Amino acid sequence: MTPTPSKGVGASLRRKEDARFLHGRGRYVGDIRPAGTLEVAFLRSPVAHARLLGVQKPDGGLVFTAADLPGIAPIRANSALPGFRASDQPALAQGKLRHVGELIAACVAPSRAEAEDLAAACLLDYEALPVIADMLAARAPGAALIHEHWPDNAFLETRRDEDLSDLDACAAAKVHRRLRTARQHMAPLEGRGVLAEWDPRLEQLIVTTAAQMPHVTKTGLAECLGLDEGQVRVVAPDVGGGFGYKGILLAEELVCAALAMRLGRPVRWIEDRLEQLTANANCREHYYDVTAWADEQGKLLGVEVDATVDAGAYSLYPFSACLEAAQIGSIFPGPYTLPRFRFRTVSACTNKPPILPYRGVARTGVCYAMETTLDALARQLKLPPEAVRQANLVPPDAMPYRNLVGKVFDSGDYPEALRRAVAAVDVAAVRARQAAGEAVGFGLSVFCEQGAHGTSVYHGWGIPFVPGFEQAQARFTPDGVLELRVGLHSHGQGLETTLAQVAHEILGVDPARVRLVHGDTALTPYSTGTWGSRAMVMAGGAVAEACRQLGERALAIGAALLQTDRASVRLVAGQVVAGDAAVSLDQVARTWFRSPQNLPTDVDRGGLEVTAGYRPDPDTGTHSYAAHAVVAKVCTETGMVTLEQYVIVEDGGVLVNPMIVDGQVLGGVAQGIGTALYEEMPFDTEGQPLAGTLADYLLPGATEVPDIRIDHMETPSPWTRFGQKGLGESGAIGPPAAIVNAINDALAPLGAEVLDLPATPARVLAALTKAGRA
Amino acid sequence: MKPAPFDYARPADWPAALALLAAGARPVAGGQSLGPMLNLRLALPERVADLRHLPDYAGVSMQGETVRIGAGTTHAAIEDGVVPGRLGEILAGVARRIAYRPVRNRGTIGGSFAHADPAADWVAVLPALPGHAIALGPQGERRIPLAEFVLGVFETALRSDELLRALELPALPAATRFGHWKFCRKPGEFSKATACVLALPGAVPTAVLAALDAAPLVIADASALLADPTAEAARITATLALDDPWRAALARTALRHAAEAVR
Amino acid sequence: MSITLAVNGALATVAAEPRTHLADLLRGELLLTGTHLGCEHGVCGACTVEVDGAPARSCLIHAGACGGASVRTIEGFAEDAVMAALRESFSAEHALQCGYCTPGMLVVARDIVLRLPDADEARVREELAGNLCRCTGYRGIVRAILGVLAARRAAA
Repeated sequence: MTPTPSKGVGASLRRKEDARFLHGRGRYVGDIRPAGTLEVAFLRSPVAHARLLGVQKPDGGLVFTAADLPGIAPIRANSALPGFRASDQPALAQGKLRHVGELIAACVAPSRAEAEDLAAACLLDYEALPVIADMLAARAPGAALIHEHWPDNAFLETRRDEDLSDLDACAAAKVHRRLRTARQHMAPLEGRGVLAEWDPRLEQLIVTTAAQMPHVTKTGLAECLGLDEGQVRVVAPDVGGGFGYKGILLAEELVCAALAMRLGRPVRWIEDRLEQLTANANCREHYYDVTAWADEQGKLLGVEVDATVDAGAYSLYPFSACLEAAQIGSIFPGPYTLPRFRFRTVSACTNKPPILPYRGVARTGVCYAMETTLDALARQLKLPPEAVRQANLVPPDAMPYRNLVGKVFDSGDYPEALRRAVAAVDVAAVRARQAAGEAVGFGLSVFCEQGAHGTSVYHGWGIPFVPGFEQAQARFTPDGVLELRVGLHSHGQGLETTLAQVAHEILGVDPARVRLVHGDTALTPYSTGTWGSRAMVMAGGAVAEACRQLGERALAIGAALLQTDRASVRLVAGQVVAGDAAVSLDQVARTWFRSPQNLPTDVDRGGLEVTAGYRPDPDTGTHSYAAHAVVAKVCTETGMVTLEQYVIVEDGGVLVNPMIVDGQVLGGVAQGIGTALYEEMPFDTEGQPLAGTLADYLLPGATEVPDIRIDHMETPSPWTRFGQKGLGESGAIGPPAAIVNAINDALAPLGAEVLDLPATPARVLAALTKAGRA
Repeated sequence: MKPAPFDYARPADWPAALALLAAGARPVAGGQSLGPMLNLRLALPERVADLRHLPDYAGVSMQGETVRIGAGTTHAAIEDGVVPGRLGEILAGVARRIAYRPVRNRGTIGGSFAHADPAADWVAVLPALPGHAIALGPQGERRIPLAEFVLGVFETALRSDELLRALELPALPAATRFGHWKFCRKPGEFSKATACVLALPGAVPTAVLAALDAAPLVIADASALLADPTAEAARITATLALDDPWRAALARTALRHAAEAVR
Repeated sequence: MSITLAVNGALATVAAEPRTHLADLLRGELLLTGTHLGCEHGVCGACTVEVDGAPARSCLIHAGACGGASVRTIEGFAEDAVMAALRESFSAEHALQCGYCTPGMLVVARDIVLRLPDADEARVREELAGNLCRCTGYRGIVRAILGVLAARRAAA
């Protein structure tokens, strides 16, 4: 390694990508409109469950129904878990409508406005069917069937049986809670969007799309359209936020692709906010029935959980309808040494848009259920909330630790993170205010985030796309610029900067002379993409390895140019150095490309271009972890909650760019505050979505997110290239639990407790009313 | 999310504007309420008449002790102090909390009042103030007391052939007390309860309770509310028989806070 | 209809349907794609541009109303010292991630700096309430604006 810490791993280097965004020169899919482009608006289902009898098209317009676009196979995201029932999601509805907003027909016109005119002029004939608008109703005997060939409305049920019947007799405390988290939207500022073109010379479909996982999208398009994968090129330009929303294959992508092939013209669809809110994928809706037993010190004796996830009408590609629920069983024990555990999980099918994994995936709901349960135990045992947690956290000397469901934690000092978080808040002052009658509370959450987990984990979870080795290409251009090519994609994480830092760490090349090529399947190695907090571990590791190998080749050439042997040279600050003599990597590159007569005869004929692969060993994933501490004030008159203090102690292992890490954590927390207090997509009993604008679906703004303090611990992961851990989702996991614990701490003297998310003023006031205190 | 087709007209004078109105055009001022409705296709006018370029549509003038505020005066101008004196202070305080500054730069006091969204800020405040809305119709100007202007949800005393041209309010004495409280979970959210109380020296105090999904409740004599804000806020709210207990609590709280602010 | 307006200091005449909003007109007809669409109902602030010298939602101004207007977009601040300072400060404070909200955020930030030279953190946050960012959690944005305000106060 070269001694240049100011730009390598650990440096808060400013982002290379900032300049274009700050000048309005970012290039998103909506900014790209080739000559002759036709725009698409979709005729969407106005009802949640119906038999589709016919579509009457307006005269003279280009309107395509399923019958007009034959040959598109339905999207089918299977799971290898036993008992899973796959759904067929048609690109355009065939026979049945299963949620409001489902695609019925594509209306094509020179402008989006005219395409919307066509959609407005279509007449629909349908026969309404009974609507399943709630996940518990979906499970009721005799419920209408959404997929009629299934025996019931469940994608999957998983369970772990363990007899806990003796615990009632021996436990000092037992709590039982029923908890709900709301259906949410990921709501990136930029929606989805797709531009499809057919290149007749290459016989290739070129799909430009706002996507986190361009290679997986390519595979899905090829599968559904009956093309070989070489006939599909997916380009993801700048992507305006993702958070999971841009991690699925869309029916809209399939339809635009088929239309481009049919019409021989570029075809574009740009999702608007109304479509995003009322028609496309949702996330997060969980129901928990939790029972927990503890001894008098708060040590958990056992937990039983029955969890249902409202998975909506279809299984989305590639993560499937059951990833979230099936994960609950394996992550529910959290960072604790739980001795006994029984669970059942159900992925329920309803007449609502499908769900897909949102930042934190099931961890946010699980953390909420576990951490509020621990606080309920603490209240019953009259123990401080931190004491109950300290009685159960995995101790540092047990690392690496394997818990009772086989989850392996790599490293860390969980109790220390909790101690620091508690110490950062003046808890005594909160207690004094409470004693004076103020409705103020202190809340905690502790959790870990498995990230960058690989083949062994995902194979067990049954998803149809199991990640394996991540690859990266590193190569010099003839002028000595280092070009990196990776198959995953940035949607705000700053990979152009952080991967350049990794390359700098290995080769000493100035990050300003490193270019990242990503977001184009034609130019990059295959990758399952950016999700699961994996980019920095996987692509970081792959880039490091590719650069190491590239460095070896450069050293050999440099040694020859310095007329010495390989053993006498080393890389220093972007130069090959032997004693006082040095040759720059630029000169090495120029020699390879332009003056090969000066190369040694035994030069590696692979040249200055390397593709290398990487996977941590073991690949069970890194575990970043954090403790969140919150002070919240409750207005008992209106139910309004104000966050007074927010402290995070976070351990993400070795931080490649601490500034960017803080940005990830802060952004995640803002989303977690949304989950905790604001964000909710309600549906009526007919499955109609009730929040059609951002005036109804409230996203946190600058006034809703407090100034958050972050304290870092840096326990390296023993298993990754630099000791780094995945932590992109972490911030979004802890807030609902910590915030609601603070609210319930404030409400406890009044005998009230909030159970459901978000803890809106109406819900807080209802809890007070129920307790007779409002 | 693009509007259905419509024609655009920009009348140069008031007779032309009234003629367009008579021909069925939808009047628009700043467009900050109508704009989203057009984009969402919730409003489907065949033609809009853009009032922004009418003479004297925006701006404030003094006529003796009367302040005449052009209907097209923006919220931002009011926030920045275009209305003089104590009245200006009161209106500026209300304006600052309307939506967001980029919206206030376009949105107008008259457009908002005439749109009569029950959650809108001017709908909740102007009825408490002395003064008149100046409607212009084919027969000329008509004065409508501010307290009688809003009749219901998106419903006003304007006739279908009339436009709101201006507001005329008496200048207020420096000792005028004003209390205003609204409940939003975040700035810019539609209010879930707004109340204001106005107490002119030597006069009977007035109050308004709004954002009720109905016409604002105008309390012509708010003396009892000022005497005992908690009890009277509860009594008044109870008379509304609101279905949602949370909204009732907010309404109660709004009235109480507004009253306590002027005590 | 034919509309003539000034955009970034130059007169432009474009043909557009009356229903076309200013953001689409800028993006589609004038190829100024730095102005982004986030909600098209006035809440998110991504499309905020300067119209006649003040920030406005370009999604809520339809074509007819643009006639005669003077519009400045994120592409039109090359010579502006306040914008230059904000750009520097935004990068230093990591006030952007995906970049989608950034142009609207900068237009509003510049208005705050010029209109409210004494704004404190609470006021800056209140003034930012109409511009949503889903990536940063706002801390960097708030700090970036406060930094420029402080620097200008120190230089005054």
